[in-house]
Amino acid sequence: MTRSVIDPITRIEGHLRVEMEVQNGKVADAWVSGGCFRGMELVVQGRTPEDAAQIVERICGVCPVSHAHASSIAGEKAYGITISNNARIIRNLLEGAQFLHSNILWMYNLAALDYVNPLNALTANVADAIDLAQAAGTSMHSDLGALHKKLAAFAKNGQLSIFSGNWFEADEGTAYKMTPEADLICTAHYLEALKMQARASEVSALLGGKMPHVMTSVPGGTMWVPTEQKLDDLKAMVDEIYNWVAETMLPDTMVLATYYPNVLEFGKGCGRYIAWGVFEGPGWPYGDNYIDQMKNRYLPMAVLDEQFKVSDVEESLIDEYMGRSWYKGTETYQSPYFVTEPDFTEYDVNDRYTWVKCPTYDGKPMEAGSMARIFAAYQRKVPFIVENVDKLLVALGAKPGDLTAFQSTLGRTAIRQIETLYVAGLMREWVTELMEALASGDSEYFREPKTITGEGTGFWEAPRGALYHSEKVKDGKIEGYQIIIPSTWNLAPINGAGDHGPLEQALIGVPVEDIEMPINALRTVHSFDPCTACAVHVSEPATGKHFETVTSPWGVK
Amino acid sequence: MENQATITEFDSILASRGVTRRDFMKLAGAVAVAAGLSELAAPRVAQALEESVIGATKGDLYPVIWIEGASCTGCTESFAQIETPDVATVVLDLISLNYSETLSAAAGHSVEEAKAQTIEAGNYILVYEGAVLEGWGGNALRVAGEVGTAALVDAAKSANAVVALGSCAVNGGWCAAHPNPSNAMGVQEYLKKAGVEATVVNVPGCPANPEWLMSVLVDVVVMKDPSLLLARLNDMAMPNDIFGQTIHDNCERRGHFENGEFVYEFGSEEEAKGYCLYPLGCRGPQTKSNCGVILWNNRRSWCVQAGAPCIGCCEANPNNPGQNWVEVNTPFYKRHRDLRIGDWTFQPGTIALALTGLVAAALVVHGFGMKVSGRMDGGADFEKIRKWDEKHPDKSIGKYDLTREEKAELAEKNCGHAVPEDDSEKGGQA
Repeated sequence: MTRSVIDPITRIEGHLRVEMEVQNGKVADAWVSGGCFRGMELVVQGRTPEDAAQIVERICGVCPVSHAHASSIAGEKAYGITISNNARIIRNLLEGAQFLHSNILWMYNLAALDYVNPLNALTANVADAIDLAQAAGTSMHSDLGALHKKLAAFAKNGQLSIFSGNWFEADEGTAYKMTPEADLICTAHYLEALKMQARASEVSALLGGKMPHVMTSVPGGTMWVPTEQKLDDLKAMVDEIYNWVAETMLPDTMVLATYYPNVLEFGKGCGRYIAWGVFEGPGWPYGDNYIDQMKNRYLPMAVLDEQFKVSDVEESLIDEYMGRSWYKGTETYQSPYFVTEPDFTEYDVNDRYTWVKCPTYDGKPMEAGSMARIFAAYQRKVPFIVENVDKLLVALGAKPGDLTAFQSTLGRTAIRQIETLYVAGLMREWVTELMEALASGDSEYFREPKTITGEGTGFWEAPRGALYHSEKVKDGKIEGYQIIIPSTWNLAPINGAGDHGPLEQALIGVPVEDIEMPINALRTVHSFDPCTACAVHVSEPATGKHFETVTSPWGVK
Repeated sequence: MENQATITEFDSILASRGVTRRDFMKLAGAVAVAAGLSELAAPRVAQALEESVIGATKGDLYPVIWIEGASCTGCTESFAQIETPDVATVVLDLISLNYSETLSAAAGHSVEEAKAQTIEAGNYILVYEGAVLEGWGGNALRVAGEVGTAALVDAAKSANAVVALGSCAVNGGWCAAHPNPSNAMGVQEYLKKAGVEATVVNVPGCPANPEWLMSVLVDVVVMKDPSLLLARLNDMAMPNDIFGQTIHDNCERRGHFENGEFVYEFGSEEEAKGYCLYPLGCRGPQTKSNCGVILWNNRRSWCVQAGAPCIGCCEANPNNPGQNWVEVNTPFYKRHRDLRIGDWTFQPGTIALALTGLVAAALVVHGFGMKVSGRMDGGADFEKIRKWDEKHPDKSIGKYDLTREEKAELAEKNCGHAVPEDDSEKGGQA
């Protein structure tokens, strides 16, 4: 029995530690620890819902738009506002731009270095690489000869920069399986992806002022008003991104699958999924039925059990357990609004070992993320998703409709490209839809609240999965705020019943050849695209106990 | 002219290594043909790789350690959007980014080892993103089995310069906003407290604009002259050419401000005309930064251009986490804001009246006295009623100095019921 530890996990957002018990070359037990506590929910107490939408997006620099939108939706539900149709389309575009940014960045710049060795590309034959790119049906917009030269100059200088201390030689040099030519192609795409994720953020900046931390979404709608010039720019950028995504990402995924079929054999996880739904659907508005609204989203809401059976979300089934995290007590709390008090004890995997709380749905751990969304959309029969999932299944050698074929580390990594392609296509539709709405004379973007007291929940999705913001507002000020973020679900510690969290479950059984460089464990962690900065959170209503809130100076006069 | 000289030198340094800033691919291709290099060079290259170094003892690239404290990774993300030069050029041709939790290929002990070797070799820059957390003895942030503050101290001690990147690193940012649950503060203050001598450069913003970081790196990495950088810093150790003038000074909507043409509601007809966002709480007049000049994301846009009032995210007094941009500027979309002292919130307009006895004592204790009197450096001064608002009371959304009856009437109009007694006392949502 040996312990293998990865701390810090790199190429994620935030601070994460993974500790594993390795027996007979496989992970026998695993503990995932989120390393940072900031206390966002406490900071928004006593401020306005409009302020909250701006402040909470600072939880995460990768998916700020999703937080701004979930918070705005919570504010709108509390105030009884249905946003205008133009605001719906514009917020979809802003959210979609962030999804494209995040998915491209994650695939190439975060996850790909677990499979691609840019230094191996030094020995590539450039002509062969060009042939291979054509044979694989993937795009080639880069000058491979020039890239090869650039890599050689880089290597000759001797400093490895972001490749310092790499794991490319893990498992005695057998961990990285691609040929130098394939590595050269993927390295070119790594660099192209850096430009494309920036282009997607440029779309966010056009609509939101800047990215990260967009400025224009607010409870009540949007501050952004289109002009012809802005719409032209928007259309051009959206088309450029779509073309690159369509001709590059799925073909590259098949290249990875060719070299790494073994990575399809581990990393299943808990096998139950949640998706709250994202991108408000056509036929706006829906009236008061929130469930219908979530089901009508372009990526719809669903809760899926082990057999992929669909049910609708029930807020009262969401619980959080404190017993293995650095908070006082061992209670299980029901959403929304409960009191938790942070209290660091020590890092001890037999007791408390993380700043991340343990959310469960109906008492069980649930996986959130792109795979959950695609499964939900497949089961809800979204035509594009059904068609492309079945196509990818066949390409991977599985039967159409057999979703279990995706339940692995590489499956989780691969299925996300379907979502990227879907969103890239929707962006083009939304630009057209917005142009048509404007042409028809609709110029409404923002609606003022009629009341400033109430409670509301924003069920939404970040690129990393199901996102929940809930707030209680009195006279325009927040009295209670709660956030449950996708990575809180995925990185959850052991729950009250003793079940491991989804990532912990996925790690158990992963083959580990080299406990110093457990590359397959790292691949599995990255397949979840963890985001620990947002995974750690705390809540406390204004009536909470461990600090005093508003005391009027006039009260002591 | 000095600027032109800078650009020429920048280009020549890159060109001397066979790359230009924008067209390195093309040029590199041409050089390759000229040099006749091909895969025949591979064995030599492989040998060079084996002899590769992590520290600064060899090689042309300037070593950089990039540590994320209590961050959202937004400043790394922002840096990843840089276009001139693009991020690939930066990390392959300009700096050797030996430690980055977001970009490093290595993980776990391997990446920690890369950091240790870089520190050992010395002659590097430390970029620190995110707040420094003192909560629970530093355990509010744990990395590689130790407290986050230890990692900062280790890396800062031998660094040529420490760049506190983003408002969180400068003074705690939103993490330090009331009630500051994790005991957050900025890099400069923490290092001073810990007795670490270091040259700290503060680059605020939420996030920091990547062009700002680049301008700092260019002085040190490309020009190889840190004195250029030091000469740019103001008394808050911020580059004065970036943070010396207000947003308002250079705002594209400034003409409309002068004309008295304002936006009173988000997404309105006035917004479509690009009028001034001042009545919606724009903090441009108080916030010092060149956002409106340098713009964001490949110079695509910026907050005000997109119709969003400035919320003052560059406001950060390095010596006082309490003066973070969230605390100073909320409520963002109101002209007047609450002031919070400890656990009390009230409005600055009423402070002058209440500045006696207990309250005055509290103000002194919290160091707010100077601020209220408008004589303290850093942070936004409290606004007086603007002349324009005085002339147009019906259009002003500032709602200054309302009587209790007027407040009740307004509340009735806005939310359909009277504001409870204690709320109107506090000033609350004016």
